[in-house]
Amino acid sequence: MKRLRLLKWSGSVLSPRTRPDHIQSQLYTFRRCLATAAAPSESFDESVEELADAPFLPEEILQRLPSPPVTAAKTSAKLAALHARLSLPSRLPLETLARTLVDASADPSIRFNNKPFAVLGNDLLGYYTSEYLLSQYPRLPLAVVFAAMYAYHGPATLAAIAREWGVEAAAEPGGEVDPGLLQFKRLPPEPKPELPHPQLISTRQEENPKFRRTMSSRSVYDDQFGEIKRRVQGAETSQEKGATLQRASTDFVRAVFGAVYLHAGRAAAKQFYNDHITSRQVDMASLFHIKNPTRDLSRLCAREGFQAPVAKILSETGRKSRTPVFVVGIYSGSDLLGEGAGASLDEARIRAAVAAMKGWYLYSPTEFRLPSEMEEPGARPWTPILVDPGEIAN
Amino acid sequence: MVVQGVKTVSKAQNGLGAFILQCKRIDFHYCDWAGSSRGMKSFLTSPLLAQFTSRYPGVEFRVSPRPNKHPILKAYYINGREKAVCVRNLEREQILKKADFLVANSGKKNELIRGKTVVSQNENVRGIWSPMHGGIKSI
Repeated sequence: MKRLRLLKWSGSVLSPRTRPDHIQSQLYTFRRCLATAAAPSESFDESVEELADAPFLPEEILQRLPSPPVTAAKTSAKLAALHARLSLPSRLPLETLARTLVDASADPSIRFNNKPFAVLGNDLLGYYTSEYLLSQYPRLPLAVVFAAMYAYHGPATLAAIAREWGVEAAAEPGGEVDPGLLQFKRLPPEPKPELPHPQLISTRQEENPKFRRTMSSRSVYDDQFGEIKRRVQGAETSQEKGATLQRASTDFVRAVFGAVYLHAGRAAAKQFYNDHITSRQVDMASLFHIKNPTRDLSRLCAREGFQAPVAKILSETGRKSRTPVFVVGIYSGSDLLGEGAGASLDEARIRAAVAAMKGWYLYSPTEFRLPSEMEEPGARPWTPILVDPGEIAN
Repeated sequence: MVVQGVKTVSKAQNGLGAFILQCKRIDFHYCDWAGSSRGMKSFLTSPLLAQFTSRYPGVEFRVSPRPNKHPILKAYYINGREKAVCVRNLEREQILKKADFLVANSGKKNELIRGKTVVSQNENVRGIWSPMHGGIKSI
């Protein structure tokens, strides 16, 4: 009996997305790298061709596939519901949405997994978030920019978004699994990092002195969140090792952004970003962690040519009681820079200095334009946005 | 280092940008034999079902038999909870009301909202009243 070569005979049906035969895969990719049409498939049975048109493939063929076939996307209720729930543009087909749900650990072939979409989506997310942060808060220190980027589209946030979108994970990837489920090879969850809580982004002495971990080196060598880039692994090792739920969800959400951009264009991607990322709430003032606020404030005043800051008691109550309250204001000349209340004079002074520092760093222009607005047709001429001299150095 | 950044996760505000319906799946269960499923079976065969499901494309609907049991509606929510309503001996219009209730539900546990204070993630515009500021009387 002739052996079924499923991946070759489905070539005529699913021209750009055929799964190559394992024996000839290398030759095929080389031959077809510049071709736009499908390679001429070899002779096959008529009955087999009919089978490929049917939405349901036989079980034994499905079980050999690493991820659900393309034809299964049209018959999945979960997938259609997810498409409607996210109000995705109708130009984004269900087949692509199904592909964004296949992690690289489930299907190593980049023609079937979401890796290419995720790379694009990650870049889009970084671009939109960073331009928004830098235009709205031009004086933000770099460590806080990294923290804000992490808060808006870091792995933890994207995993939460995937959960809030109602995406469920399949227990194990495979061809027979519903394509509306997130498919990845499971790893046990990552152990909690042994770092002080809350996790801070700062210059830190690493164990390996080769690593440059200053803020400037982070912006040059590291990723969008100021973290060391993940080592690029071979497809086989990542497939063997698998992925955590958080990583698979992160790649899925990034891939959806990339897919929206590719299928529906820039405007739809921007709208999708505004709907799902910008609408989330981040308290920028809570991202700061200032160690020596009074010292930093006096340096800041010296740099900006203000008079040296002076702390003055504005009001107080119960100095001799068990619960005293002092309100301290920090003045530069006659200008009140910040004000804070505390149970001791020192505490109130430090709180006032922190308020003054945040008041400086969290300056936001009343009207600002984003660089990406210039990509739209008929945009007004660009007016330069405020560029700050930067944070104060050590 | 002058300022350090604190790693946090942003909070979702459903409905502010995109709105995501919290019900993700509803199961309709019926029994072919028992009389309590009469209304359920007529609901499933009537155009009411198609009208209802076409109004909610973001929800997955499943119809399955549950022999020798009362008919139920079972809804699954994004927060991981599920809610089941027994619809024995109900007419199809009553079943439609139950389905409407389940699909619009948030999936949270029922709670009494009377007397709860307003909860907001945003800072108070006026600030908290302070005895230290403004119009201080000296006694």
